[in-house]
Amino acid sequence: MNRLSWFLGLTVLGLLMTVSLSALRPSVSSTDSSSSSVTITVSAASVLSDVFPKVGRLWEEETGHQVAFNFGATGKLTQQIERGAPVDVFAAANRQFVEELERNDLVFSETKTLYGMGRITLWQRPDSPLEINQLEDLLKPEVTRVAIANPDTAPYGMAARQALQTAGIWEELQPKLILGENISQTQQYAMTGNVDVAIVALSLSVEKPGRWVMLAADLHDPIEQILVIPKNAPHLDLAKEFAAFVNGDQGRPLMDQYGFVLPDNQSTR
Amino acid sequence: MIWQPSLLSLQVTLAASGVIWILGLGLGIFLAKTRFPGQLFVSTLLNLPLVLPPSVVGYGLLLGLGRGSPLREWLGIDILFTWQAAAIASTVVALPLMVESTRAAIANVNPELEAAARTLGSTEGEILWRITLPLAYRGILAGFTLSIARSLGEFGATLMVAGSIPGRTQTLPLAIYAAVERREYDLANVMVVMMMAIAFGFLYWVRQFDRHPHS
Repeated sequence: MNRLSWFLGLTVLGLLMTVSLSALRPSVSSTDSSSSSVTITVSAASVLSDVFPKVGRLWEEETGHQVAFNFGATGKLTQQIERGAPVDVFAAANRQFVEELERNDLVFSETKTLYGMGRITLWQRPDSPLEINQLEDLLKPEVTRVAIANPDTAPYGMAARQALQTAGIWEELQPKLILGENISQTQQYAMTGNVDVAIVALSLSVEKPGRWVMLAADLHDPIEQILVIPKNAPHLDLAKEFAAFVNGDQGRPLMDQYGFVLPDNQSTR
Repeated sequence: MIWQPSLLSLQVTLAASGVIWILGLGLGIFLAKTRFPGQLFVSTLLNLPLVLPPSVVGYGLLLGLGRGSPLREWLGIDILFTWQAAAIASTVVALPLMVESTRAAIANVNPELEAAARTLGSTEGEILWRITLPLAYRGILAGFTLSIARSLGEFGATLMVAGSIPGRTQTLPLAIYAAVERREYDLANVMVVMMMAIAFGFLYWVRQFDRHPHS
């Protein structure tokens, strides 16, 4: 085979690919047709990555529509919405980012809903030999590394810092602290045995094998998880339905099971 | 569970490599063959995506493709969260490898050979086609190989502009990351093997062209 014919071949292939790339799909239609199945897009904080797929499945069974999840750090999801990503429902891990979108007039304020409050745990691998029952135990010399999510960006990291400050050991614990980019990564550090203990979300603790102690809620400000519908949601009606579903009779038991304190029923756990 | 991200990765990488082949070859030839003021500036600028962390490239693309961008405001093209956005991210981060290799390979071709062809009456097009490109061939192919490898493994920028939506924009690297985040290590392992198989296939296919340089 002649080399130049490869050049030519690849160029033709390239042209074809370029054409396929430019054959952009038109933006998703904004009308909901109830007769056919529609896929809505839900951007959700990574702390929901265990429970939301289950909520989604129930919703799909009930409505016959599909839901696609985009899990990630709340801050990153916020940026995507700021730039016009076609998101139907945004379930954040805190209040601050949602209010930022609200200030920029990018979300429907009246759809802003508190759907749960997060709790944090001290989490270890099931085979960990350490006896950790309270925050002060982290100071023991046999505990060498402790992971928390980045307290400047991750809502659950902020809560972890507050709890450590309330307990008065934040300064003393500094040399042992490892910061995860988000709460899932923080837990990975502990699951893979690279840190002894991690302060993680209760919602990510319940389903996985591990030993964990829940931290008292009064150690930190409430982690208020807010959901909202962005103004350029492609499927507004279904978005509202899904938001109501999360906070409704089917969603709430699941959220409760995964360790979220439900709004107006704060003593569930 | 693993086919969708695999096919999507193939689709994205193929599209990106197509664009990279044409654009990278064109820009590489252009930069090697012409001199213009500010050339160094332009070629340095083209290399930036290689150096900048993916989060920065992703943020830049989010600005460049999303709300307020000409693409969206003037042309009405809504590309965020589509596979095409993933392809664009892959293209942007991998293009410099192709441009730079092509430029260097062509600049390395002995100008006397081209001059000789010129004295024998060849047109510039003929010289490029029959002398320069065949001699620069290996360097160009190396650049193309690197670009494909880079775009197949693209992660950070893709995550920003395409999201990580299973079945729609979740390419293999994103799916592996998501599986690890969900601590589904078995699934992640299977996808890693798949990723390696696809990468091997792609690289093997491209390197084939290098096996018989004188055929």
